[in-house]
Amino acid sequence: MPPSEHPPHPPAAHSTSAPSRSFPGSGLAKGLAVTLRTMTKKTVTAQYPEAQPELPPRSRGVIALFEENCTVCMLCARECPDWCIYIDSHKETVPAAAPGGRERSRNVLDRFAIDFSLCMYCGICIEVCPFDALFWSPEFEYAETDIHELTHERDKLRDWMWTVPAPPALDAAAEEPKELAAARKAAEKLAQEAAEQKQSTAEQKQSAAEPQDSAADQQGTAGEEGAQ
Amino acid sequence: MTASASGAVTLTAAAHPGFLSPTGVEIAFVLVGLVTLGAALVTVTTKQLVHAALWLVVALGGLAVEYLLLTAEFIAWVQVLIYVGSVVVLLLFGLMLTRAPIGRSPDADSGNRLPALAVAIAAAAALVWVVVDAFRTTWIDLGTRQGSTDAVGAILFKHWVLPFEALSVLLLAALVGAIVLSRKGGTPESGKDPQASKDPQSGKSPESGKDGASGTTPGERDKEPR
Amino acid sequence: MSDVLDVALRLLVVFVAFLALPLIVGQTEHKVMAHMQGRLGPMHAGGFHGWAQLVADGVKFAQKEDIVPAGADRRIFQLAPAVALLPYLLVLVAIPIGPGEGAVGVVVDAGIFFVLAVMGVGVLGSLMAGWASANKYSLLGGLRTAAQLLAYELPMLLAAASVAMAAGTVSLTGILDAFEWWWLPWQIVGALVFFVAGLAELQRPPFDMPVADSEIIFGSYTEYTGLRFALFLLAEYAGIVILCGLTAVLFLGGWHGPWGADGLGWVWTLLKTAVLAFVVIWLRVSYPRLREDQLQRLAWTALVPLALAQIALTGVVKVVIQ
Repeated sequence: MPPSEHPPHPPAAHSTSAPSRSFPGSGLAKGLAVTLRTMTKKTVTAQYPEAQPELPPRSRGVIALFEENCTVCMLCARECPDWCIYIDSHKETVPAAAPGGRERSRNVLDRFAIDFSLCMYCGICIEVCPFDALFWSPEFEYAETDIHELTHERDKLRDWMWTVPAPPALDAAAEEPKELAAARKAAEKLAQEAAEQKQSTAEQKQSAAEPQDSAADQQGTAGEEGAQ
Repeated sequence: MTASASGAVTLTAAAHPGFLSPTGVEIAFVLVGLVTLGAALVTVTTKQLVHAALWLVVALGGLAVEYLLLTAEFIAWVQVLIYVGSVVVLLLFGLMLTRAPIGRSPDADSGNRLPALAVAIAAAAALVWVVVDAFRTTWIDLGTRQGSTDAVGAILFKHWVLPFEALSVLLLAALVGAIVLSRKGGTPESGKDPQASKDPQSGKSPESGKDGASGTTPGERDKEPR
Repeated sequence: MSDVLDVALRLLVVFVAFLALPLIVGQTEHKVMAHMQGRLGPMHAGGFHGWAQLVADGVKFAQKEDIVPAGADRRIFQLAPAVALLPYLLVLVAIPIGPGEGAVGVVVDAGIFFVLAVMGVGVLGSLMAGWASANKYSLLGGLRTAAQLLAYELPMLLAAASVAMAAGTVSLTGILDAFEWWWLPWQIVGALVFFVAGLAELQRPPFDMPVADSEIIFGSYTEYTGLRFALFLLAEYAGIVILCGLTAVLFLGGWHGPWGADGLGWVWTLLKTAVLAFVVIWLRVSYPRLREDQLQRLAWTALVPLALAQIALTGVVKVVIQ
């Protein structure tokens, strides 16, 4: 028997891989081991049409329009880098709300269309919308057989609005959202006021009912407040 | 080829007098012989180089079938192995490497048509004469498998050992000659690999053998038996 | 009459095996290769894990237009797939899958020579295709095929000769009858040489320069479409079956098995063939393609000397035993 266990292999090993001190052919064996190990592992294939993919919360699938919020300010159409947003509108005159008041004019949306064959999914329109009328929807199955049909009109865009998920929860350490902070501030102020009122009424009640217990202290504060 | 095919035909003809009605094997033998002969003729007359090589395959294959019909199985398969499998592949390799246009190549004619014909006829006549003279009306019974591997081996290494060895020496000489020629003409390193393949005792061959040289090596090996 | 029936039946079985086994190997390749790459492979055709993928492929190939390039040598171009495929069918006839003469299509006296000779003829198909396509990439593929065949035919033959020497016969059934288990370590070098050389002759990765798609598109088969292309593919997989079957018969003892001696011999043959076919696929997934010079060097400086050493070893052991 020749000494080597894998006779045909060593020359290949010499010519294909960098020479190493290890057993001749060990690199070849390693290669076989890798593929064999991979075979026993679970595959990573996503069975897409049968199994829907689990998309991350901020997936950029399609742009949805919440047209009730749209004021036809045209900011999105103007900021769009490839001019794929088409907006038509007309002006309507709204009669005065109160008798003797002034008539107001209002923009009414006639058409809002996005040409998704041009759109590059940059999301600038969504960022720039001051009225929260545009949203990312994770919906992605809107392929068409004709490129012209990729220009989707407002009703389709509005329908996609239903697929927009609730905004994902913030990180535990994240700063509080501004809306919440403002609301909380307002709520706290209200609560404080309510508490003060309650306190003062309670105080009056207390002082009226039984003034023995710690009366001096409470009276002192009450006196201060009263002084203020 | 032409010679052997026609020789084969005569052999059957010689066997005929014994039987008024030929057996199926004999009919097949004659038919295959005719096909072989035709293929051989096309091989030397066609104007298309690669077609000539492919017709050669047909002719050599037909010859193998003839051997089979003569129950010389071993020879038949060796014929296929060496000639069809290696020599023709080598021929095609050479043709493709140099010049193998699709279609006719009229300039591939050396102009030696008549001398070639004369030589071919002379060779055929000599072979036919030898065969006819040697066997005449000898009847070989094919029922007992004359050409099995056992029989061929026994005959070759018992009765014909000396010619066999002489032939080996001749082939070796041709091989060495080929190496010498290729060394003188080409780069000095080409022709080292044949040694490695032919002579295991010399140990590891030099690493310098280029693939071009190794590619042609089997050619030199296979050319010899012709 | 029963003789004729017997022969017809045998040939029919061989033909069915010839059509079915390559498809099974091909499907296995789809799946094994996919899983070795962390994929699933075909999953749709036929419903259950894409079992009918190759049938679907066949239907697709049959529907395609059969195109012959304008500049091609029409007849040879059309003939080449048959030349590539038929030899493997012939070889399959001679491979014994079980003990006795009942389990082989046709008993061939010089079995080894028959098998190797006819396998070599199959390569002519690639050569014809490469030349007749009138395409430089095809021609390059044909040239590479020829060079590869010339380089690997010799070690393959020598390795097979070693077994023939060990058994004292060149008949495949005879070799199996003479097989002993200790031949396994004795002939292991020859087995590896034979298998590697066979892979190279089949142009399977890592020896697939003749069809190297990143260099010469698809070599000899570049211009082929439809059914003819399918025939070439079928020839490749039939070649795998043949090579694995031959290696199993010559070196692994064919129908000999540790248990289940009677009547189950064919199971052992098929099992060994299947394992070897898996190895063929495994090698394809694991290794990159060899360069042309590496290929030639492997043949001439490794395989041929090893095969000769194996023959010497076989001879020595044989003489010592006697």
